[in-house]
Amino acid sequence: MPRNFAYFIYAITVVFFLCFFVWPIWQILKGGFVDADGSVTFAYILEVFDNPIYLEGLQNAFTLALCTTILSLLMAVPLAFINDRFAFPGKKVFGAMALLPIMLPPFVGAIGIQQILGQYGVLNVVLDHLGIISQGHYIDWLGGEGRFWGVVVMSALSLYPILYLNAQASLANIDPAMEEAAENLGCTGVRRFFSITLPLMRSGLFAGSTIVFIWAFTELGVPLLFDYNRITSVQIFNGIKDIGGNPFPYALVTVMLLFSVLFYAVGKGLFGRQNFAMMAKASHAGEPKQLGLVGNVICTGLFCIVIGMALIPHLAVVLVSFSGDWYHSILPQHWTTLNYEIALAHNLTVPSIQNSLIYASAATVLNVLLGICLAFVIVRTELPGRGLLDAMAMLPLAVPGLVMAFGYLAMCQEGKAFSFLNPTENPTALLIIAYAVRKMPFVVRSAVAGLQQTSVTYEEAAQNLGCPPLKSAFKITIPLIMANLLAGALLAFSQGMLEVSDSLVLAQKQAYYPITKAIYELMAILGDGRFIASALGVWSMAFLAVTIIGASILLGKKLGAIFRV
Amino acid sequence: MIGVKVQDLVKKFGDMVALKTISLTIEPGELFFLLGPSGCGKTTLLRSLAGFYLPESGKILFGDEDVSRLEPHKRNTGMMFQSYALWPHKTVAQNVAFGLEQQNVSKAEIERRTMEALDSVQMGQYAERKPNALSGGQQQRVALARALVIRPRCLLLDEPLSNLDAKLRLEMRTEIRRICKEYKLTTIYVTHDQKEALSIADRMAVLKDGNILQVGTPLDVYKRPMSRFVASFIGETNFIEGKVVRSDAGTALVKTERGEFSGVMVPGYEVKDGQTAYLSMRPECIKIEDIKPEDNYLEGKIEDVIYYGEVAHYVFKSGDFRLKISELNPKYLTHSKDKTVYAYIHPEDLVVLKD
Repeated sequence: MPRNFAYFIYAITVVFFLCFFVWPIWQILKGGFVDADGSVTFAYILEVFDNPIYLEGLQNAFTLALCTTILSLLMAVPLAFINDRFAFPGKKVFGAMALLPIMLPPFVGAIGIQQILGQYGVLNVVLDHLGIISQGHYIDWLGGEGRFWGVVVMSALSLYPILYLNAQASLANIDPAMEEAAENLGCTGVRRFFSITLPLMRSGLFAGSTIVFIWAFTELGVPLLFDYNRITSVQIFNGIKDIGGNPFPYALVTVMLLFSVLFYAVGKGLFGRQNFAMMAKASHAGEPKQLGLVGNVICTGLFCIVIGMALIPHLAVVLVSFSGDWYHSILPQHWTTLNYEIALAHNLTVPSIQNSLIYASAATVLNVLLGICLAFVIVRTELPGRGLLDAMAMLPLAVPGLVMAFGYLAMCQEGKAFSFLNPTENPTALLIIAYAVRKMPFVVRSAVAGLQQTSVTYEEAAQNLGCPPLKSAFKITIPLIMANLLAGALLAFSQGMLEVSDSLVLAQKQAYYPITKAIYELMAILGDGRFIASALGVWSMAFLAVTIIGASILLGKKLGAIFRV
Repeated sequence: MIGVKVQDLVKKFGDMVALKTISLTIEPGELFFLLGPSGCGKTTLLRSLAGFYLPESGKILFGDEDVSRLEPHKRNTGMMFQSYALWPHKTVAQNVAFGLEQQNVSKAEIERRTMEALDSVQMGQYAERKPNALSGGQQQRVALARALVIRPRCLLLDEPLSNLDAKLRLEMRTEIRRICKEYKLTTIYVTHDQKEALSIADRMAVLKDGNILQVGTPLDVYKRPMSRFVASFIGETNFIEGKVVRSDAGTALVKTERGEFSGVMVPGYEVKDGQTAYLSMRPECIKIEDIKPEDNYLEGKIEDVIYYGEVAHYVFKSGDFRLKISELNPKYLTHSKDKTVYAYIHPEDLVVLKD
């Protein structure tokens, strides 16, 4: 790549990140640390810790993140391990199915869980039929503490695939000879797993766990749909109306940001450095072990349980979307497609699908363009600071979406430098930028991985034969990394279609609602709102299914690398 | 045909100086070898010729044209990469045609020349295959065709045979020489394999630590190495250290602890009386004899024999000193280890080195 062009790209990406990543965060910090007179103060932050409501919210968010991460690990690691090491019927199908929840928007699943666990929901009716409880003593599973656990379960069920992919990639990296050496020295079975295999997987697993932890810590959509208000993310969301004059939403966001950065740093510092370099590429492929009948039953059983649990909420959503009435019964009393008709006719639906398509695809195009450029600068040049650029492109994974959304809103207030992007009038530009920044890591990671696997001599050979440098990149390298680019783009696109935080916060006019905000608004409509929201949810899930399946076919096992920071 | 000139070329990577003021003249149509251990700068020099590295100072001339600052794609060199760098998403024919497509050559012409180039490396029948469906030797041929087809001003080969097995390597090196001569190409060939250089080079340069130590024909370099490093890097040799007793007219007499020896000096690197000198004796130049020769010999015993069929390697022990000796059609295989024998070397085969 010509040096001048590299500098040009470098400058553009740096400016983009300064404007739309650093600047909004700076706005938040300013709001949190600077008082009306312009002097630095810690009063607002301290006030957050003094306020019992905020403090409870933080505690709940922390507990939620911890429980979600542990639950995700418990689901992901055993599944990844048995899928890597054993041959059992349906192994490939189960492996692919285990990833399904990535594309099921958790906050749509929340509708389904409420249908099942509500006071007149499926579970109570089933228990009634079995004679375990009787009407009048129905348990409100989602009341009180139950609501918290509902959020935990829903978050874990949607986040465990990230850890599954991480675990899978880590396992694939372990030279089978390492385990054979342990076996040769007399260490086998469970003991070997804990003394050799798990430690070798650790750095990969912790990288994924950090992400899951932070995502759960700042999850907005699920608690919102569960009506679980005693958590920081929802408190921030509700405080947005006051963004103009009140410093406390800023302080709360600042605290959330600081905690996220802290968790990220701890994760990186404690575990990221301990990356055991594999001395050699695997000397030979590990042969999956054939299992007997009992083994087969256990393996498939485990997969069925986890996948089943992960799918139930969304299956319930599908059922809800086809039901005319579903109250106090195991299955809907009436079946109908009316919801879809009403949904399509509703003045929120069609525009919201259109909007989401526009936002997500424009953001994806922006992502791919920036991603390719960034990847080239990072991998193929020796410009100073490219390491920093690489880190910066990955940071949006660690900075909560809600924080970013809040920052965007803050920087577009009247009188600020970016007020021309103010979303109250038309949020299109801001949403596209917001989606692009948030999903940038997926595209950059996959493009960087592609470039690293593609020897630079391919390009040099083209130049040697008279092809100018830029043309060589386009004619040789880009076709070679096309699979990576497509996979990254598909992930970015599907994540954009599902985006919750930016969508809920930034889209303020009905005409500009994306799908997620439309679902949220529909849910609030009494009566048939739930059914219409479900219909729209099913639409979006079908959409995403196609894109994610495409991505996993293109990338295969490499998909896991995208989630490693 | 053009010649290639390198004048005072300096290339640095950070603080590391990879090429330390190198000068070199390669004649038109010459098959020129750059030889040296890894890290000596030979690949850096080749990549500088191709334009992938810009030198800190110095000049590169193709014929009369100064190309020092020219971008790689404007230099019109044909480079063959060590990994071949065949594009996996293009067929063999598309790989070869690529260079011509950059030159605005007509479609028919591209097709004709592509097939011609593939035929000249006997790969015509594989035109529609993808590179990863070819064996290592076939990929190597395609890479060569791709570099040849653009009629480059010079051909640059970066360890072209290092990925092939021993038998193919022998076959391909004569093939490469045939093609270079047939196309009348000025060729610069990088390798660390001295056998490749000795067998097909017109001339070669031996590099070490970013310096050119010696330039010459294979015979020159092998027979008259200018230093101990060159002598031991190109072929095998034995060294004995000593003091120069007398030197004149290209020959010198050197006194060592194993006796006095006379040998030849390398022009430009002569030793003077009283200086320390090193005697280089190639194993195949030493003869084992039962009868004591008149001069230029060591007295000792055969300590060990390694038999290779057509040749045997002996370990000859004289006092504490050990010599490697090799003998074609070996006669001393079952020789008693206790019997005294003599290792004789003709003065013409004994090189007196300064360093």
